[in-house]
Amino acid sequence: MTVFYGSSFATGDETASFSTIGENYERNIRPLMRQLCLDCHSAEQREGELDLEQFANLSDVRRVPGIWLKIAEMLDNGEMPPKDSTQPSTQEKRQLRDWIKQYLHNEALAGAGDPGSVVLRRLTNAEYRYTVRDLTNVDINPVRNFPTNSAAGEGFTNTGIAMVMSPAMLQKYFGAGREIAAHAVLLPSGFRFSRHTTRRDWRNEILSEIREFYSKFVSAEKLGTFQSNLRFSLGQAGLPPMEKYLVATLTERTAIMTGTRTIETVASQYGLNARYLRILWSSLTDSKPSLILDKLRSRWRSSGTEDAAALVADIAGWQKGLWTFGPVGLYGKKGAPARWMQPVNPLVTQQDIRLAIELPETPNTETQDDVVISLVVTDAGDGNDQDFVVFQQPRLVASGHADIDLKDLAESGLDPGMFGSHPNGKAIDAASICVRAPSVIRIHLPIELAANREFVTTAVLEKDTGSEGTVQVLPFTHSAHDTPSVLPGLVTCDVTTEFTKTGVLVAGRDRNVSFTGAILVSENSTARQRIETAMDDYRSVFPAAFCYTQIVPVDEILTMTLFHREDDHLARLMLDEEQSARLDRLWEELLYVSHSPLMRFDAMDLVLEVLAGNEAPDFQARYNLFKPMRAPLKKLAADFRQTLIKHEPRQIEALINFTSRAWRHPLTDVEADRLRGLYHQLRRQELSHDEAFRLTLARVFVASPFLYRLENVPKGSGTAEVSNWELANRLSYFLWSSMPDVELRAAAQEERLTHRHETNNDPGNTKSDSASGEESDETDAELLRQTKRMLSDARIRRLASEFACQWIRTYDFGSLGRKSEKYFPEFADVRGDMHEESIRFFTDLFQQDGSLLSLLDADHTFVNERLATFYGIQGVEGTDWRRIDGMRQYGRGGILGLAATLAKHSGAARTSPILRGNWVSEVLLGEKLPRPPKNVPQLATTVPEGLTERQLIEQHSSDAACAKCHIRIDPFGFALENFDTIGRRRDTDRVIDVQTTLPDGTSIQGLPGLRDYLLNKRRNTFVYQFCRKLLGYSVGREVQLTDEPLLAEMQRQLKKHDYRISVAVNTIVLSDQFRRIRGLSYNR
Amino acid sequence: MVHHFSRRTFLRGTGVSMALPWMESRSVWGDESVGPSSQAPVRLGVLFSGNGFTKNEWTASGQGRQMELGQVLTPLGDFREKLLFIRGLYNAEALKGGIHSSQTGNLLSGAPLASGGEIRSGTSFDQVVAQCYGHSTKVPSLVLGCERSNPGVHKDYSMIYSSHISWSSPTAPTPLELYPALAFDQLFKDDVQRGQRSVLDAVLTEANGFRQKISSIDQRKLDEYLNSVREVEKRIEQAGKRGELQGWRPTLDKPNIPRPPEGIPQTIADHMRLMCDILVLAFQTDTTRVCTLKLNNDHSALQFPHLGVEIGHHELSHRNNAKWLKVNQFMLEQFAYIARRLDAIQEGERTALDNSMLMYCSSMMTGGHDATQLPTVLLGGAGGQLQGGRVLDYLDKPNRRMCSLYLSMLDRYGIHLDRFGDSTERLREV
Repeated sequence: MTVFYGSSFATGDETASFSTIGENYERNIRPLMRQLCLDCHSAEQREGELDLEQFANLSDVRRVPGIWLKIAEMLDNGEMPPKDSTQPSTQEKRQLRDWIKQYLHNEALAGAGDPGSVVLRRLTNAEYRYTVRDLTNVDINPVRNFPTNSAAGEGFTNTGIAMVMSPAMLQKYFGAGREIAAHAVLLPSGFRFSRHTTRRDWRNEILSEIREFYSKFVSAEKLGTFQSNLRFSLGQAGLPPMEKYLVATLTERTAIMTGTRTIETVASQYGLNARYLRILWSSLTDSKPSLILDKLRSRWRSSGTEDAAALVADIAGWQKGLWTFGPVGLYGKKGAPARWMQPVNPLVTQQDIRLAIELPETPNTETQDDVVISLVVTDAGDGNDQDFVVFQQPRLVASGHADIDLKDLAESGLDPGMFGSHPNGKAIDAASICVRAPSVIRIHLPIELAANREFVTTAVLEKDTGSEGTVQVLPFTHSAHDTPSVLPGLVTCDVTTEFTKTGVLVAGRDRNVSFTGAILVSENSTARQRIETAMDDYRSVFPAAFCYTQIVPVDEILTMTLFHREDDHLARLMLDEEQSARLDRLWEELLYVSHSPLMRFDAMDLVLEVLAGNEAPDFQARYNLFKPMRAPLKKLAADFRQTLIKHEPRQIEALINFTSRAWRHPLTDVEADRLRGLYHQLRRQELSHDEAFRLTLARVFVASPFLYRLENVPKGSGTAEVSNWELANRLSYFLWSSMPDVELRAAAQEERLTHRHETNNDPGNTKSDSASGEESDETDAELLRQTKRMLSDARIRRLASEFACQWIRTYDFGSLGRKSEKYFPEFADVRGDMHEESIRFFTDLFQQDGSLLSLLDADHTFVNERLATFYGIQGVEGTDWRRIDGMRQYGRGGILGLAATLAKHSGAARTSPILRGNWVSEVLLGEKLPRPPKNVPQLATTVPEGLTERQLIEQHSSDAACAKCHIRIDPFGFALENFDTIGRRRDTDRVIDVQTTLPDGTSIQGLPGLRDYLLNKRRNTFVYQFCRKLLGYSVGREVQLTDEPLLAEMQRQLKKHDYRISVAVNTIVLSDQFRRIRGLSYNR
Repeated sequence: MVHHFSRRTFLRGTGVSMALPWMESRSVWGDESVGPSSQAPVRLGVLFSGNGFTKNEWTASGQGRQMELGQVLTPLGDFREKLLFIRGLYNAEALKGGIHSSQTGNLLSGAPLASGGEIRSGTSFDQVVAQCYGHSTKVPSLVLGCERSNPGVHKDYSMIYSSHISWSSPTAPTPLELYPALAFDQLFKDDVQRGQRSVLDAVLTEANGFRQKISSIDQRKLDEYLNSVREVEKRIEQAGKRGELQGWRPTLDKPNIPRPPEGIPQTIADHMRLMCDILVLAFQTDTTRVCTLKLNNDHSALQFPHLGVEIGHHELSHRNNAKWLKVNQFMLEQFAYIARRLDAIQEGERTALDNSMLMYCSSMMTGGHDATQLPTVLLGGAGGQLQGGRVLDYLDKPNRRMCSLYLSMLDRYGIHLDRFGDSTERLREV
């Protein structure tokens, strides 16, 4: 109401007593009105259903103050008295107008703080969607097919009276509830929501969550295949980036050792897992002897960063030697391994050597080279104290021929004295050889003997002198031509073999242990234990796979395993407690959600049925293989069913807790019992737990406490504070268009938001000025703290899209704004961006607590490349949105220059100074124009040849009936004429006349002129209008007379605090309008 | 007719504000409207398009086959003998606002419209028919639209008025179905889920509990909810009970077209055509007897690229050119299409068109907001109760209220009211 802007209710001027006003009415005003108005607006005539005769005195007047607002408007617009009847003199008009102003002023003050009549609000479509999103963490949007909301009150969709319910709507809500319920995933501990609605999708969702979890620690490497009668993939092994770890330890070795850097800093710098880095570091630096690790340690100590890859290769070799993988699909099958990855101990008490003698390829084709067999004997890296090994009866074997003992083969080049004698001189079996590691036995074989024969012997530790020995024997054949570095015969010391065919074997002074061959030990020897421990040590740091990232085995055609979990190494080496717990929970959910035990059992029966139905022996064999698995699977399935039943009550209780959030108040016992009751009733109707649960969940969303913002109305004829929960809801629906979040709920729960003890039902004692900000108590402070927090939260975007865009009338612009495809083909592409720009502009204003005046004079905006190009701004690339400054140089800035508002208020094919002007007048200044005349003359669709749009409008508006309004709106629009139909500058290549004279005689030039005019000359009006709209939005009703003191207070506070937007919000939040509610029998 | 008195007293109460129509209506007059009868029921179809028509082209003169129609009405040429052209009617309340929204929200009720952030009109005559007569069919009425409503307030009137001609109560514009697939579902989807009844009972109990604690204004709002729940319950109860009625049987007992695809059709032509098909199907299967189809909003932004018209409907209405005429004719073609389809359905001796009363109306005569006379055409025989091939001119007569026409139309449904909206008289000639 323009009557009031700028009035200062707080300072108390202009106040006269009601009695003075009443006397004045009866003495002067009533007679004046009788003379001017009652010809038509008598009790009898009631023109326009208005009876002004009824107001005999002030108490009559005070019954319907709204009428006097209307009268003031009619007078100000010159609509009344009608032109053809007697006109009041200027003096009379002023007398009447002044009295009305005085009266309304008093009336406003008398009822100040009245919460007003707020009609029960249903959630708007947007509020419904946001609430569901905040409740479920999933953007389900079940309201997409709902009818568009309508607006009422101050022009917003969140006004109760604009919301209609009908059977068809209710069915839509029911459908929406069912749709939401279909997204619920039942879990052991309760339930959550998923984007998906099928068990299969939920399972895949958890699977990818687990895989994603793994991938944060390890990367998946495909293993080879497993060969049985068919080849199967062994799946994927999760391994950390070992080289990066080693690089880190090598590069930072000194720093860590000297303590200048911690493991944690290094880990974070290199992007490594600190826990594993620490374990690795300890293993590399530990002084406790451990055979295999010691070798790595010494290499590591002498290596530089550049050697990391070689170290990794070495480790990989050992991993390969110490671990083996099997198919997990066989898991559970009789005789199948219990784990996918299993340790291997390459320890033997005897080593059977059976060497097919390959005839080496020879460079000389005429004379075939003889063959040499080398038996390389090493000390397995731990010294050779008892490393006496006996090669029992080495011989050449060929079928159909008698064996040839080596002892009898003179050509072998071996010293005959070696046979039958221990190096210490003791006699052994006559055909055998005993040597002490390290040694190399070279056996020379003539080609004719070697061909088609096998070399056979068994190596064992010599039982007396070698019981604590550890020896590795590596036999192989080669051409006599090769390997000249080693002499034929027995070499007992300083063996520096070149036999690096395997890439690893080094024997002699550089003691070593190889992962390529078995290690000979004696049964129950301490040497054996020592080596086993050494292998365990190594394995514990370097598992060949940290986890089975495959999860779903693909290694068998018939697999009874749906999911295989093997990640204990990962947990042990890399995860902290919390991570382990999360991983456990994910796995628990996976098995639970997938119903894996039930599926496995069902699959089992199916498989058995198929196999039994086929009489081929192959199938029978398989049948027998699978059959024993049935019983355990059956037991698992039965157990799982019990688990499911066991969890049902927990899920129902979770549903009840959930309902409390959905209904936005703590549930009463009755409410909770009713929910349980429905569930049990449904079960009695033979619905499954799943069905009954979902239907009960759907019911939560179709219930009135979800759909409506119900508030308890206190008894009495006065007003009362709303409850903590109600206030929390008011606040979050005001700022976020959604339910309160955890923090706000906590504040409500702890009753920090209201002082309910001050509840006041006395109508004569309505608090009127709690918004002054001077008497700030703890509750105020808490409310302000919450408000501040919420304003800076990302969800404040919803205030931008719901409040601001509705106010500036671009609400549905992003989806519905249309322009002529023929004239503006580029518009469709950029329309959504224009809308996004306005939302971001306002979001930023709220989040950054900007100045309300920046709506008019901002020099910044938000663009992506497409919109920047549209605006002719260089240097913005990509789809990301960013803030840019300097909009004024493009003739824009603020809401006047937003493409969205300019395009919205244009025709489809040409600009409309009328629409733009009306927008400035009605939306920004809150002016109410007289109604248009009955028969509006027609306009041309496109601008006729030789006329500008402006001239076209000017022609139209010269009609006297039209002029009285157009003179008040068109000039605003003329100032924006240099923007085309879709909001682009169009004065780049021609001059557009943007000079115009405003209704109050001010002459302005273009958007800058309009901006300065609004900013300076009309600032109060603009600020008032904004406050009015924000208040109307926040309380969900039309602003009424008794709100005027609050609006005045908002303006006063804004002015005092640089027009910061939070001041307007805070003043509303602290107001009685916002915090109180009318009593059941309110009678003011 | 038998229970004439009870109905009238009820409707008279506060204008035609029907407090809890669904709850009480059945027991009061539930069985009177049809009963076992071999007569086909009279269907009511109301079509609306906003913003009026081309100046001087909404005209008709002459009689029967010789009737001459203005250019806007040429699509109706084939139906001249079944057509009643009514000139000169107006809606007094619509003249008060003088702008779109205030001319549309009360078009079918003649009620005063509340401005200034409030929403109040009157129960529209199509919904009066639905509430009194609709319970003999599965769905009391079908309210369809081809354009989304506009959230906003225009010149102090909520834009809800511009997009809703059908009102279930003075404060409840009937929500429109925009999606052909969902409209189809409203008519034919019968999947009553087990347990649904229990759910509705539960929410009803709950809302009743709240009802005690809220103000009377809020109670009215909550009653909309309560009544809707009860109505849905009732439909569930009735599901599966159809086909037990004696007497007249529709010519089709289940849909002969597939459920339309989800979503809103790509072009407005397809959208309107589908909605027309659904209307015809609803009548043919006797799933409902009352259907209101809003082709577009008043103050509409619809464009018609398939006609080579890329200007919004409202903007176009302020011109008076060939494109505007083309769009007008396109709208009337929808009306003609429905008539043609219904006329091809033989129901005994008459066609379904003969058994229907179709009305085409708009909020104003021309795009210049002129509502001093409203464009009105009736089509169909109302089961032998309406004589076509005539032009009635009320322009210079004292009784020329739209609501008088509605009183006359309501008579055809056995709903004899003393007053409706701003009228207490009938149009005798109709």
